[in-house]
Amino acid sequence: MDILAYLAQGFVVATEPQHLMLALIGCALGTLIGALPGLGPVNGVALMIPLTFNFSLSPTAALILLVSIYYGCMYGGRISSILLNIPGDEPAMMTTLDGYPMALKGRGGEALGLSGVASFVGATVATIGLTLFAPLLVGFAIRFGPAEYFALFMLAFATIGGVTSGSLSKSFVAACLGLLLGTVGIDAVSSVPRFTFGWFEIYDGIDFIVALVGLFAISECLVFLEDIRHSNKPTMKLGSAIPGMRTAWRCVPTITRSSFVGFIAGVLPGAGAALGSFLSYTLEKRWLGRRGDFGNGDPRGVAAPEAGNNAAAGGALIPMLSLGIPGSGTTAILLALLLSMNITPGPLLFQQQPEMVWGLVAALFIGNLMLLVLNIPLVGLFARVLRAPGWFLMPMVVMVAFVGVYSLSNSAFDLYMMLGFGVLGYVLRKLEIPTVPVVLGLLLGGQMEYNLRRAMAISGGDWDILWNSGISVGIYAFAITLISAGLVYGWLVRQRRINAG
Amino acid sequence: MSEPDFFTVRVSGVIGDRIAGAVLLALAVFAWWYSYTFTTGFMQPVGPGEFPRLVSVPLGAFSLYLILRPGLNQRWPHRAALLRQAGALLLLGVYAAFLEPWGFLPASLIALILLIRLFGADWKPSLVCGVILTLGLYLLFEFALGMPLPDMPGLNW
Amino acid sequence: MTILTHARHGFAAATLLGLGLAVSTPSQALPIDECIAPADPGGGWDFTCRSVGKLLLDLELVDSPVQVTNMPGGVGAVAFANVAGNRSDDSDLIVATSTVGMTQIAQGKYPGDADTMRWLAMLGTDVGVILVDDESEYESLDQLLDTMVNDPDSLAMAGSSGAGGWDHIRALMLAKKAGMPADQISSVRWVQFDGGGPAVTQMMGGHVDVVSTDLGEIAGFIESGDVRVLAVLSDEPLPEPFAGLPTAVSQGYDVTGYNWRGFYTGGDVSDEDYSAMVETLATLYESDEWKDVAQQNGLVPLWRGGEAFNDFVRESIGDVEEISREIGVME
Repeated sequence: MDILAYLAQGFVVATEPQHLMLALIGCALGTLIGALPGLGPVNGVALMIPLTFNFSLSPTAALILLVSIYYGCMYGGRISSILLNIPGDEPAMMTTLDGYPMALKGRGGEALGLSGVASFVGATVATIGLTLFAPLLVGFAIRFGPAEYFALFMLAFATIGGVTSGSLSKSFVAACLGLLLGTVGIDAVSSVPRFTFGWFEIYDGIDFIVALVGLFAISECLVFLEDIRHSNKPTMKLGSAIPGMRTAWRCVPTITRSSFVGFIAGVLPGAGAALGSFLSYTLEKRWLGRRGDFGNGDPRGVAAPEAGNNAAAGGALIPMLSLGIPGSGTTAILLALLLSMNITPGPLLFQQQPEMVWGLVAALFIGNLMLLVLNIPLVGLFARVLRAPGWFLMPMVVMVAFVGVYSLSNSAFDLYMMLGFGVLGYVLRKLEIPTVPVVLGLLLGGQMEYNLRRAMAISGGDWDILWNSGISVGIYAFAITLISAGLVYGWLVRQRRINAG
Repeated sequence: MSEPDFFTVRVSGVIGDRIAGAVLLALAVFAWWYSYTFTTGFMQPVGPGEFPRLVSVPLGAFSLYLILRPGLNQRWPHRAALLRQAGALLLLGVYAAFLEPWGFLPASLIALILLIRLFGADWKPSLVCGVILTLGLYLLFEFALGMPLPDMPGLNW
Repeated sequence: MTILTHARHGFAAATLLGLGLAVSTPSQALPIDECIAPADPGGGWDFTCRSVGKLLLDLELVDSPVQVTNMPGGVGAVAFANVAGNRSDDSDLIVATSTVGMTQIAQGKYPGDADTMRWLAMLGTDVGVILVDDESEYESLDQLLDTMVNDPDSLAMAGSSGAGGWDHIRALMLAKKAGMPADQISSVRWVQFDGGGPAVTQMMGGHVDVVSTDLGEIAGFIESGDVRVLAVLSDEPLPEPFAGLPTAVSQGYDVTGYNWRGFYTGGDVSDEDYSAMVETLATLYESDEWKDVAQQNGLVPLWRGGEAFNDFVRESIGDVEEISREIGVME
């Protein structure tokens, strides 16, 4: 029962007034940054690093501030997803799929409340997992070699048909387009520029934030402009912020399953929160099948990705702290912060710096609670935002997106590219080709390719390595089961329709 | 509440899907062909061209399917809408070009006023809201978030 | 000299004062307000930037925090191209580099050669290590090299550089000393990971057999006993806590493989700014704080600055080019 003693000590550290204050600031600021499209946890955490130096915060205090921002962003990202159909950051992308339809039906408040609770549960599950099982999970994570990662990414793309209720082939077209866009830039293995055509600006590849903001925010504006008189009519009601008992109860199993899926995705370095929320959504959709109404405002379609991405964010801290390997862009920056404070995360961190580690864990529990409490009164504030006319709201969103994207590289080139992606996103929408798979392909394509190439380097060019381990075979079998179940189900529905008609 | 507009009007996608399919098919073929120009480095069983080729096969196949079995599209915009959209894109493009040389404040002020106007507001609210939004965003980014914005030439703000 | 350049900035600003608005006060800061780490956060270059940036502030060599910009891609090629193209005369900018970056230049993988940049200084050096898992069948360097020479197909090695990069070359230099024929070099498989840490954890998971990388990044795994060090590639045994690790030299293989950490700046930076930057870095190097930071991170403090460093870089590039040709990485 060492753990409980350590945790108790951690709570003593975390409840020092200065630390509580920092957690509160972090949570509030994180929610704001997360909600602004174009700004995500990576920006939030990166922006705070100089601040921690300026105030010469202790490593523990700095880490508490940054992790609160990290968790806050995960909470905040969903707000604009639900209210504006524009994800605040990439893990919140999946929340648009059912959150926005819910808002259109006048249940936006409920969606916000529910997603807040789901986020809280997801993050808490992850924090408990981090507390109890960190060493065990590290042992599990290192069994994932390149071939197993490749299998995991194959699973993600095999289930991509589940993203939208539209045509299956259109989802796959979108995913392939994203994967192809993901190969643009200098190849990290051979240093060969690919599809850059001499444009230096894309040597480092297409930034997925640029693509995300373009595909969602700019294209949303273009949709708005189709019929401004109609668009400017304030039609949306927010409704109650407290989800009804029945809705909440129906979401309990969903949240439980999704927290688990997200947490596992987070623990695997390189997979990250976006994969966590994606897999939670698609797997939940498959699981519920006909019992769900995903894509048309099913509350469980909001609960699943939110529980998933928050659980993944917590899970990602495990490889970062105990192996020194960042599982996502944000944890990479947290790692950098620790390194510059002369703390080297790694197998000895838990022994050498127990005060810091357990203070952090306690701060995560406290931060979670704070975010949940903060979010309930905030729903009222969001209601006011929504009542603002579209001609005010949309230009504001565009401006925030411009500044956010501009801050990535300080060059106008990214802004033009964002506009280009805006047009692409608009055209894809009109064609009913979903945009979510494009971003996912772009986001995960690089890791997918490099793990494939690493696996082949290990085997010396023998493709058998891809299905040579129990884990990969298990993942492929799971993927095939999901796909065939989907096909059989689709066939049954069609048969029934034919019989009925 | 008016009719929920997520049940958007759908039209036949015979033309749209076929054009898109053709464009994407051409892209897949081009990627396949072009990826052979990537030289494989020292001791690499799988070179830089392999993955783009692996992706272009399903891309090509699904685009072909799109051409052969087109689905539904959403209603395409009318000419007035198209003009408005083109105007917005042009405005934003020009804004991007002037953001750095002019600085954030003047460039954003002008862009925002015109943008709000384009989104359907009258001149008066456009002017007022443009000023408020520009200042608000400036304060938010420059001070609250500490993200440096492009300054006006010669000035520190 | 720095005062001169600031006077020039001040003059430029004053000419714009005609607008009658407040003007930025010419700052008293020494040049260096941004450090580009040509990699993602967490690796060696990122550490170089962040630790040096923090020390510059702590030692009051600059008066506002040094901004660290991560610009990953092409093992530093993206940052190199960016600085060469857009910021070649930016005297406030330093870029972290190391033996790894220099190897890329030697092998012609950067868009430019050593003359494209001005080389400021090196502040310390990391040391190469050859590691296996603590439960590995390989107990000694002899045993490992024996397998490499006689049964090269059975091994998968990994590191943070690509095939033909510095981590790979160091391991191959050992194999060559052990008598591996040149035509057999490509039989030992090489796997590139995003850094030393991921390479080591993949080895612990049993996916690769041997790791060749720098000590600094993976020191924690050595201290925790998760890995076994077969050889350290330094001339002399390392200071505590790594004094017990065997060097390759002591085992009869005369191979050393250092990885120095240093900085370059744009090629069009003026002589006076250049010497001011070198001087700032020299002051930093002299401080006890740097010695502490270096030691804690497995670096040996080592100074070469200004023209001496310039010459050293050119000389090293020549050496690496030669080794690369010998091993078959080039041509």
